[in-house]
Amino acid sequence: MTTSTTFASVSALVRRETSMVYDEGKEYLVEARLNPLAAARGLGLEEYVARLALDAEERRKVIDALTINETSWFRDHTPYQAFTEAMVPALLERRAAARRLRIWSAACSSGQEAYSIAMLLDQHLPAGWSYEIVATDISTAMLDRVRAGRYSQVEVNRGLPATSLVRYFTREGRDWEIAERLRQRVTVKHLNLAAPYAGLGTFDVVWLRNVLIYFDATTKADILRRMLPMVADDGYLLLGSSETTLDMPADLAAAWQREQIGRVPTYRRAPVRTFLSGPTPPTGTTSPSLTSPSLTSTGA
Amino acid sequence: MTAVDAPAVEDLLAVTEDVWLALVGDDDPLLPRAVPPGSPFDAAAWSSVTTISGGWQGAVTVELDEALARRLTTQMLDLPADEAPSDSDVADAVGELVNMVGGNVKSLMPGPSVLSLPAVAAGRAAFASDTALACRLDLVWRDAPLRISVHIPQEGPR
Amino acid sequence: MRAMIIDDSRAMRSILRRIVTGLDFETSEAEHGQAALDQLHAGVVPDVCLVDWNMPVMDGYTFITEVRANPEWRDITLMMVTTESEQRQIVRALAAGAHEYVIKPFTADAIVDKLSLLGLLPEESAVTA
Repeated sequence: MTTSTTFASVSALVRRETSMVYDEGKEYLVEARLNPLAAARGLGLEEYVARLALDAEERRKVIDALTINETSWFRDHTPYQAFTEAMVPALLERRAAARRLRIWSAACSSGQEAYSIAMLLDQHLPAGWSYEIVATDISTAMLDRVRAGRYSQVEVNRGLPATSLVRYFTREGRDWEIAERLRQRVTVKHLNLAAPYAGLGTFDVVWLRNVLIYFDATTKADILRRMLPMVADDGYLLLGSSETTLDMPADLAAAWQREQIGRVPTYRRAPVRTFLSGPTPPTGTTSPSLTSPSLTSTGA
Repeated sequence: MTAVDAPAVEDLLAVTEDVWLALVGDDDPLLPRAVPPGSPFDAAAWSSVTTISGGWQGAVTVELDEALARRLTTQMLDLPADEAPSDSDVADAVGELVNMVGGNVKSLMPGPSVLSLPAVAAGRAAFASDTALACRLDLVWRDAPLRISVHIPQEGPR
Repeated sequence: MRAMIIDDSRAMRSILRRIVTGLDFETSEAEHGQAALDQLHAGVVPDVCLVDWNMPVMDGYTFITEVRANPEWRDITLMMVTTESEQRQIVRALAAGAHEYVIKPFTADAIVDKLSLLGLLPEESAVTA
């Protein structure tokens, strides 16, 4: 059994290193995910947790074990439908000169979201276009999985159309491996969403789905604020179906304009600065201060 | 010889665990059982076999303890706990079990091959004298034993 | 929605029946491809067939070919549910007219996900799938 001290100490560790919140009531989850780690070291759970302070390698394993999100191919369907039916066509017009799209799969977990997007772009981008998908996660174990691009039969059985399975995967022993040409489009990076987003560039579409729920309100607001300059002026942010910017501080909620595509809410940068500073500055040079409360209220 | 002669025991285990997870969930996992090599299955009340022929030749056999076979059948058919499955129900469930394991073993071996319909028998499995054991797995589920084995044609007289 | 479950194993039909009746499907069952064809000819025409591959009398691959050869049945969605799991078998089944393919062993979620992909679930169940 996890005693409350053991749980509190694990919860504090995860919060310190990832800003993710493991409230009381998640004891079962901590226990289920850490018991195998403790057993591998021949220790009881409490004993194992007590030693974490001295062992950076085991701490990394604990973070990995506790930050893995549930995922599946084309999760929830509708965001992917909105992506191919509305976002990609719009971006094809907007990016006709560059002929390149950049997508961010933030908190990519085992990579099923990133590769779902890659399969769609492979089908929907005209010849001569290229794309890059940046997949980031805090778990190094998950990043290794994305790089390998190998999935079990149980995983490919769920939510992946059979036509895509045979088109984009090859059977390798018991696993199925994603096509090399798709894997080449996915750049894997280690990133804590609560830490700075340096050197990522801007993106046409950011998929930040089903991860904000793990953070407290302050961190959530901070992430959504720092996400603003990451999305191109005419780009899109996608959140999970239970997540929204509407419960954020007023200035932040206003900085993200909700735009409904069918049943899918997307979030786009509000055009506040266009009437403050004339023409939209080129992508990537926008100062975050433009979305600060004082400027927004001046504009209003 | 470079060709793959038999499935690896870890692959057979993984396939079996996937089948078990799908059929009965993860409340009661399959556990390993230490059995000396060469010892015949000591509890067989039900056995089922499916053969693979084509690019690879082999037979996959499942042998189960009586209580285990009945519990598995009860779970697969979702029968009330107090309702005993008929022998015909058990034969059906045990046949489907070897079909799933066998089909997945086939997919791991060189092909194309064809999977036979399962043959189910009450009692211990009989293995053809011109075949050799290539891979064997002894497991325990809820304290009752089962064995999965793969036999391949024997290469000439020894 | 109506589903026809075609599998020679009663236990497997029972597992599939529980999954799809949980999604408010009405079900019919057949123990091989020929029995399923007979039902279709008798007017029992479902929205979707869940089809095993290896069965006595008529296998699932032949069944799919037969269904696709009859224009009257073109609205039937065909989903293989089988332990046949080589890439070439999946390609063959899709080429013969199967819309989807689930590999045995499967979890209930896999069936739900695929039915949702095929647009056979009401919106609410599709979203929570």
